Amino acid sequence: MEHFITGTWMLFGDLEALFIFVLGLLGGMFFGAIPGVNMLTLGAVILPFTISMEPTHAVMLYSVIYCSGVFGGAITAILFNIPGAPENAPTCFDGYPMTVKGMAGKAIGAAVCCSAIGGVCSALLMMSATGPIANWAIRAFGSQEIFALIFFGLAVSASIGSANLWKGWLSVFAGLLLATIGTDPVGGIPRFSEWSILNWEYKSYYLSAGLHFIPMILGFFAVSEVLVQATAISSGTRQRMKASMEFPSIVEFWKVRYTMVRSIFIGFFAGILPGIGATLAAFLGYSQAQKWSSRKAYFGKGEMEGVVASETANNAATGAAMIPLLALGLPGGALTAMILGIFQIHGMEPGPLIFMNSNDLVWITFAAMFWANLLIVMLGWIQTKTVVHVLRIPFRYLAPIILLLATVGAYALRNLMIDVWIMFFAGILGYFMRSTGYSPAGIILGLILGNLGESAFSKSMQLMNYDFMGFFSRPISGILLALGGLAIISSIWTEIRTSRSPQSAIKRTDN
Amino acid sequence: MRIKHIAAYCLGLFLMGSVASHADTMVTPPDGFGKRPLTMIVPFGSGGGSDQLARAMAKAMGEVAGLDFQVVNKPGGGGTSAIPDFMLAPADGYTVLEHIDNAISAYAAGDISENPAVDWIPLCMTQITFSQIYIRGDEDRFTDWASFEAHAKANPGAVSMANLGKIGSMELVVMDQLQSALGIEVNQIAFDKPAERYGALIGGHVDVLFEQPGDVRSFLDSGEMKPILTIFGERPSAFADVPTHKEVGADFEALTRFRGFYVKNGVPDEIVAFLSEACAVGFNTDDYQEFNRSKYMHLIDSFRDTEGSIALINDAVKTYQDMYKILGIGN
Repeated sequence: MEHFITGTWMLFGDLEALFIFVLGLLGGMFFGAIPGVNMLTLGAVILPFTISMEPTHAVMLYSVIYCSGVFGGAITAILFNIPGAPENAPTCFDGYPMTVKGMAGKAIGAAVCCSAIGGVCSALLMMSATGPIANWAIRAFGSQEIFALIFFGLAVSASIGSANLWKGWLSVFAGLLLATIGTDPVGGIPRFSEWSILNWEYKSYYLSAGLHFIPMILGFFAVSEVLVQATAISSGTRQRMKASMEFPSIVEFWKVRYTMVRSIFIGFFAGILPGIGATLAAFLGYSQAQKWSSRKAYFGKGEMEGVVASETANNAATGAAMIPLLALGLPGGALTAMILGIFQIHGMEPGPLIFMNSNDLVWITFAAMFWANLLIVMLGWIQTKTVVHVLRIPFRYLAPIILLLATVGAYALRNLMIDVWIMFFAGILGYFMRSTGYSPAGIILGLILGNLGESAFSKSMQLMNYDFMGFFSRPISGILLALGGLAIISSIWTEIRTSRSPQSAIKRTDN
Repeated sequence: MRIKHIAAYCLGLFLMGSVASHADTMVTPPDGFGKRPLTMIVPFGSGGGSDQLARAMAKAMGEVAGLDFQVVNKPGGGGTSAIPDFMLAPADGYTVLEHIDNAISAYAAGDISENPAVDWIPLCMTQITFSQIYIRGDEDRFTDWASFEAHAKANPGAVSMANLGKIGSMELVVMDQLQSALGIEVNQIAFDKPAERYGALIGGHVDVLFEQPGDVRSFLDSGEMKPILTIFGERPSAFADVPTHKEVGADFEALTRFRGFYVKNGVPDEIVAFLSEACAVGFNTDDYQEFNRSKYMHLIDSFRDTEGSIALINDAVKTYQDMYKILGIGN
């Protein structure tokens, strides 16, 4: 507590620190809220400037960007069906239908409050026990457990966002297949980057890097959304969306309290594990909310609980992701890797010693993340009243802007032109997938978790001397794999049963 | 008339200014070169080791030669994704590539067709380091190399080592040399993300780690890891109590990890000479030396000029190709 007050005092008592804090808060939110660019773009752009900053300020800046950027991505997900980052993808499922129904204000309001609650809770947990949590996680979770968790995540989340279970799984499998492009995680053997068809040789160093998920997201969501809207406009079926500014009431939040608490735990847990992070947290939070909700049937059609579930979980993962970074020097994602870089640029290394050597830095960062999450509510409330007006801009002006920003965002990722081509290709593919009931979000989930899962699986197999049963000799991995298996069997059973009942036939024709 | 006076005065000031700015720099560029910013391509992500090196060197070369660099990260494919864009840039010296010894092993294995000593011109190497084998600080089954070797011999194949997995990588080649020289068998676990290996060692999921000291400095300082073997010709003073591979009976010339800067072949000689000199003078600036110290890059001689770099690359290519023949890798 004493440390927290000192940290807060250092933050608000120092004009320069406060200025950087506000800049990070607004910058993260702004970059997160523009389709195409995101907090990573901002992070990469300002990295050179951090060299001349004090290390305390630089690390604080990035942690603030992390908090507000994850929230900012929800706004475009809700307003345009374009998630700012993969962790905002499940927010689209209910957030966008709410906008279509004229409830954009409510959806953004829910996202704002839940991001803040998730973030604050995770900041509190982080402040109370970073060291012990990090040490527990690193010992309890080896490759076997990480693989089992990913398997479990895929098993319970596979069908969300698609017309039925089979199409959901097919989408995820397509994502898993795409994840195999590029060099393999064990031997570095090139896959699908060299072909030879009828004397025509093709070899690409570019493809050896694999497909990155950011151009895929931009394609599947941003480009395909523009195509979907364009079709609707040309066929005269597009409805103009009503820009409402109504904020959700406390009663509405009270109704979803269990979902919130569940998502906080899911988000925190997934965030601690290096490399797993916010994306799996958001998908798991959403799928579990749907499973336990009494209004299951309304999910995907504009149910506020869906937005609550995914936004609470992804922000809860932000604080947790700082734990392995600060306590062990292990970055979990792209932005935490940049923070590691900032430490190193200043000749410091995060790790167990940081709590002894740089106590100031740790606590100003913790305090900044706590206050950033609280301030999200205030800024978000203002945003709710203002940003929904973007919906009043005619789509024919908005569409080229979205495409332009998406192109810039895809290129800026690695400065490689191939990412732009991949984005447009994914956009066209996404257009046809959406009109046939397949799930672009499922492909993204498969792509991201496929990369992580394959790497964890191959390491596990090497560690267990290629004995698959070894997974079941470890309690955590055994339980997670068994639960995942059960989830698959029960979802297939439910799907078969409901597709045979006459009611579902009526429901299908409605869709 | 007055306006003319003012104009002449301004021009004079401008000329003095430009003369002064040239006098500040220690290395003078050939006529007309360096008037616009140069591009430095980094084949790895923002904030990583290569990115930090590129930015530190860009700053040092800016200081000593008045050059202005735009650092561009093109990560992916273990550093290969950046190569096509580098090869497409005109050979005018305005595009500099930072790369590591991965490019050399990739060429030796036939993964890339560009020979870094022929198709590219190395300007300089500014980071050269050696590898070590690490155990947990609180490990009690073995505490030094002798007890580790005894343990590994008693349990062949049961000891696991976290390593970077690409077939034919420096790590795996060195470990193959070490294992066959000493007759031990260590289960190499291939990791694709460098930092995951540190967690795997500290968390107790593997027994030993193969790495360079600069990358695990924080764990060494905190006592969570300790080195039991240095893979280098002599004992660096910072690790005076750790035996070298030759001392424990493995007689081979150790491959090193090195990072340096390249331009494309075809860049005019005087520009290559200028950039190479700028790199050498930049290497000796206080800021750059401080940077290398923070990375543990001052423990052994970390600098090679163009000639020295070519020799280093050619030696490495030969070692890799010889080892690949024995191991049956590549073409």
